[in-house]
Amino acid sequence: MTDKKISFKIKRQDKPGSPSYWQNFQVPFKPFANIISCLMEIQKNPTTQAGKTVNPVTWDCNCLEEVCGSCTMVINGKVRQACTALVDNLEQPIALEPMSKFPVVRDLQVNRSRMFENLKKVKAWIEIDGSHDIGEGATMPDSDRAKRYVMSECMTCGCCLEACPQFTLNNSFMGAATFNQVRLFNLHPTGSMNKEERLDAVMGEGGITDCGNAQVCVEVCPKNIPLTESIADIGRQTSWQLIKNLLIK
Amino acid sequence: MTRPSKDEIHYLLLKLHSLTGIVPIGAFLVIHLSINSLRTVGVLPYQLSIDALNNLPFLLAIEIGFIYIPLLFHSLMGFYVIHIGQTNLLRYRHQRNWLYTMQRFTGAITFVFLIYHMGTTVGAKLWEGKHYFEAAPFLMDILNGEFQTWQGIVIYTIGIVSATFHFSNGLWGFCVSWGILIGKNAQRNGAIVFAAVGLGLTFLGLATVLEFYLNPIPVEATVIG
Repeated sequence: MTDKKISFKIKRQDKPGSPSYWQNFQVPFKPFANIISCLMEIQKNPTTQAGKTVNPVTWDCNCLEEVCGSCTMVINGKVRQACTALVDNLEQPIALEPMSKFPVVRDLQVNRSRMFENLKKVKAWIEIDGSHDIGEGATMPDSDRAKRYVMSECMTCGCCLEACPQFTLNNSFMGAATFNQVRLFNLHPTGSMNKEERLDAVMGEGGITDCGNAQVCVEVCPKNIPLTESIADIGRQTSWQLIKNLLIK
Repeated sequence: MTRPSKDEIHYLLLKLHSLTGIVPIGAFLVIHLSINSLRTVGVLPYQLSIDALNNLPFLLAIEIGFIYIPLLFHSLMGFYVIHIGQTNLLRYRHQRNWLYTMQRFTGAITFVFLIYHMGTTVGAKLWEGKHYFEAAPFLMDILNGEFQTWQGIVIYTIGIVSATFHFSNGLWGFCVSWGILIGKNAQRNGAIVFAAVGLGLTFLGLATVLEFYLNPIPVEATVIG
């Protein structure tokens, strides 16, 4: 079977804001091929199924082991990483689309800077010594360490946001990934020094109250992060913060 | 006192939306369906309960403050919540996503049902000026008539099921949003308990409908002494 082919249907877009269109491609079959290796084949010979030579399809990728999150795209209607999407497990023609909740840069590349902006808003980091020494860090219980490890696996890929019915191109919802980071850093003994600042950042428009508990985020998370648990925990932390703001401060 | 920022108002309004769904609206729904289910025990206990409610001091103020205003607020905020989301149920067919969509759908259905339900009952009562002991025979007469048509039965069945689903699923949503049910097990166990609550309330409501359909008994105003 040397002439066996893998068929693709790819949603393309030439530049930000321009209309999208579909093109079909075929690449020679190879066992254990993933989406990235097929896209590389298309790049070598960018000819559509109809025989027309076109600009090669562009995409983002980096680590190729589902750790960086950059090759996230919508494959056969479901959001996932292209590197771990094995062709043998997919129905053909394989439909590739860029994520729909982020602005398209070109073809399968999207601009995910909204996620980075949200991480900055919630101070998703731990303050260390500034002009003064803040001393040695406190000891962390191992149970917290274990909880934080799972949460820390987030690679900001955007699957949870793409699949979220509350997260759209036009609103300001922060989404599961951001709330998970708030919980991650609030649980750290040194990070908890900025706990209230992080909570304040998610207590507004686009914040925790805009979550609709559809819980698709946790179903699509490639790292199996307990996102819904993080969301409910931030719900608890912000509810206490509200009571504190109203009655104590 | 500093003026609250736009973000603080947004947070407060949505928290209040979540809270009003439980207290007072959810609490009212439970009381309403429980008291109405007295109809299945007999006409007299049912009539006496309506008499008791209609002889409450400051009834209109209580109704406006604890029912109409919270209900209107919850509804308007609810339509805002529907507006900010965009269901993707056809693409991601998970159970919770289905419940998410149903929560919005049943909220809208219940809103439309309540316009009808309040129009034919409390609206008519206020319009005709039937107060105190005159309210019960007036209202029971209307209900007896409504449940003798298949349209009435269909409208009430849809309305009751929508309201009890929206309330019981909303109880779960409230517990998750306020951080009462956090872990996966807690959320699943909570869902089972609230589903049972929802089924119980639905049973109460539909049993009352059935009783009205089977035994439409007209009554005279209660006379004391």
